[in-house]
Amino acid sequence: MIGAGLAGQRAALAAAETGVSVGIVSKVHPVRSHSNAAQGGINAALDPGDSWESHAFDTIKGSDYLGDQDAIEIMCREAPEEVVHLERLGVPFHRNEEGKLGTRAFGGASQARTFYVADITGQAIMHVLYEQLMRFSAAVDRYEEWFTTSLAIDGRGECVGASLRNIRDGSTELFEAKSVILATGGNGQIWRPTTNALICTGDGIAMAYRAGAELMDMEMVQYHPTTLARKGFLITEGARGEGAHLLNADGERFMERYAPNKMELASRDVVSRAEQTEINEGRGFPDGTVALDVTVVPRKRIHEALREIVLVGRDFAGVDITREPIHIKPGNHYMMGGVRTDVHGATTIPGLYAAGEVACVSVHGGNRLGANSLLDTLIFGRRSGEHASARAKRIAAPTAPKALVADAQKRVDAILSRSADDGGRRVAEIRHEMSVEMDRYMGVFRDGEGIQTGLDTVKRLKEDIAKVYVDDHSSVFNQDILAALELEFMLDNAECSCIAALHRTESRGAHTRTDFPERNDDEWLKHVNLTRDGDEPDISYSDVSITQWQPAERTY
Amino acid sequence: MKFTLRIWRQADAESEGAYERYEMPDIDPDASFLEMLDVLNDRLVKDGGRPVAFDSDCREGICGTCSLVIDGIAHGPRQATSCQIFMRDFADGSEITVGPFRSAAFPVLRDLIVDRSAFDRVQQAGGYISVNAGPKPEPNSMPVHPETQEAAMDAAICIGCGACVAACPNGSGMLFTGAKVTHLNLLPQGEPEQHHRARAMVRQHDAEGFGACTNTGECQEVCPQHISIKVIGELNREYRKAMVRKLRERGGAIRPQ
Repeated sequence: MIGAGLAGQRAALAAAETGVSVGIVSKVHPVRSHSNAAQGGINAALDPGDSWESHAFDTIKGSDYLGDQDAIEIMCREAPEEVVHLERLGVPFHRNEEGKLGTRAFGGASQARTFYVADITGQAIMHVLYEQLMRFSAAVDRYEEWFTTSLAIDGRGECVGASLRNIRDGSTELFEAKSVILATGGNGQIWRPTTNALICTGDGIAMAYRAGAELMDMEMVQYHPTTLARKGFLITEGARGEGAHLLNADGERFMERYAPNKMELASRDVVSRAEQTEINEGRGFPDGTVALDVTVVPRKRIHEALREIVLVGRDFAGVDITREPIHIKPGNHYMMGGVRTDVHGATTIPGLYAAGEVACVSVHGGNRLGANSLLDTLIFGRRSGEHASARAKRIAAPTAPKALVADAQKRVDAILSRSADDGGRRVAEIRHEMSVEMDRYMGVFRDGEGIQTGLDTVKRLKEDIAKVYVDDHSSVFNQDILAALELEFMLDNAECSCIAALHRTESRGAHTRTDFPERNDDEWLKHVNLTRDGDEPDISYSDVSITQWQPAERTY
Repeated sequence: MKFTLRIWRQADAESEGAYERYEMPDIDPDASFLEMLDVLNDRLVKDGGRPVAFDSDCREGICGTCSLVIDGIAHGPRQATSCQIFMRDFADGSEITVGPFRSAAFPVLRDLIVDRSAFDRVQQAGGYISVNAGPKPEPNSMPVHPETQEAAMDAAICIGCGACVAACPNGSGMLFTGAKVTHLNLLPQGEPEQHHRARAMVRQHDAEGFGACTNTGECQEVCPQHISIKVIGELNREYRKAMVRKLRERGGAIRPQ
């Protein structure tokens, strides 16, 4: 298991329960993983009046019909059991007056089916899963603060392990495995600002791409409707779920014009586009924001259900959200695309699996619904853990190419051998330029010319990274070297994202091209897949799985 | 604003460490404490020096990674995580001392980074609910009163940062252990293992070199999640019950409470 957020931990537990020997590696301590940041909750059609079909339809409509319906059916059918499982493990889900599991409303959902722990749902689930890892400590070896540098592919083209750098002492080691599961999360750090933590650098997506795996739908990038302007901190969708309004600078509840039925609880791409339109057309505030008014929610309820964002408002914006509106804007949040997998988490490379944000099953298609990401990590984490361990039981122990360690060491040595005098640039400068440009050209609204400019910038920065230098040459906790390796990965992600966005000449879900403003099902009801071929990716297509819901016009 | 920093520098676990002094002119009052350290590190590397190693990740107070003792207080002056401290919280021109979450059970690895894996081993001793295979449970087969759920959540909110240990004059990890035990023992699903859990986690806590709790209350003063010292009382009660039960099982001469 590479990565130890919710998907990685869930996969490790599922595998351990089948009796195989499991190793889980992570560049941070598992409970520091970014799954922590999931605030609002987890969707499941658990209540008697709800049905998995309704959950599936909402998800498919939310995806702008790019989600694969076979995978979505599986996720929504299995969701209730997963939530009950978490409850048994001790996740302190919100209870109603009768002591039963309570729900809240969330965007794009036809009824309230989001189960939650105040606004710390991800954190609460992750700590409980980590407790379970402790319970299985005899079967699961944990390697915390190990950085994966590349995947090991043998002569038959199968994934047989990975090379890793021990962050604590700078040594590199080869890990051999019968099955490898990537659960390394998303790549939000390619954009600035972003709601994502510093560790979300798309390592797994880039490593799988370099190893020859297919990436899918990399143009589909979610901008969350409510983030703080300067630093991108997240204000949970739960705020709107609890009834908060969005206002423009004229004090108008502008969602009336974009989604008269669902208003603030339309799906995220719709709300983000509406906000950005208000801002672009001069009805926003001078700092390029609109306002979120939480004061309409009863104060007691705010303190009970939204306590984390009260603190975020106070600390990072200096605003008491119980008394005044807070300025927000759309900000980078989630990668719908990623490493293409089937419903068992298997990628196009035998022996390599992927689950969670790194993967693209695809259950989110062009736009993910809030509270479906926790669900995705758990359902497909478990399924990939089960499938990977079944494979491990079936095959003989493979041998990984030993040269990998030397290659990884060479990569690090090359970076260390350069200094400021060699005319190269520092990591932080390149990273800053990349992320600001990506936000400019690969944000809520895009056009061909802009995307091309972004792509040109990324290509130029890829040349710069070949000459990057670091100042810290020590081996213990050398965070400078890690940043350089992460930057290489990020630039691969950024390049793939731009190329796919340039390629898809329509508007669907979160991918809005002002030069191709309509959805075009005749030509583009298909996934865009990228496979590495030398320095440029090969582009191919795959069909969207449609089981029982035909594409229709999307209104909220 | 301008500041003078005294920062703990230590090359690795084996080396001796010492405080070093850095002048910080021209700092944005709205910069967070960690952003201020980023500025320092930028300057250090530009001058060919070694950047200060410190832990951080989400930088919005939820992941529990950052871990600085600022002017002698774990996480600094306002009972939030280190990443939620801002330079406007300090007087212009002041000297600020920055150290790691040092404690007998948290050895320093480099500069401001400590090894907090002792917490994992305490957890491993029994801080989980064992769910065994069986018939699929019905939803809501175990009603939980909203007040019980709230109380469990107030303990489950622990992010495992270790500020409680760094703040405690005895280096005790009882606030952490108490929070974990309280969360699980309050819920009906955690009940069957409650005695074993309390006993095993306290035993491991002691074995890791954490000190005893003497009710100084320093831990709850710094806890960024505002976990109350009541969880330690809860833990002690659970522990006593567990010990009594064990003695009874062994036929020890102790009267029922």
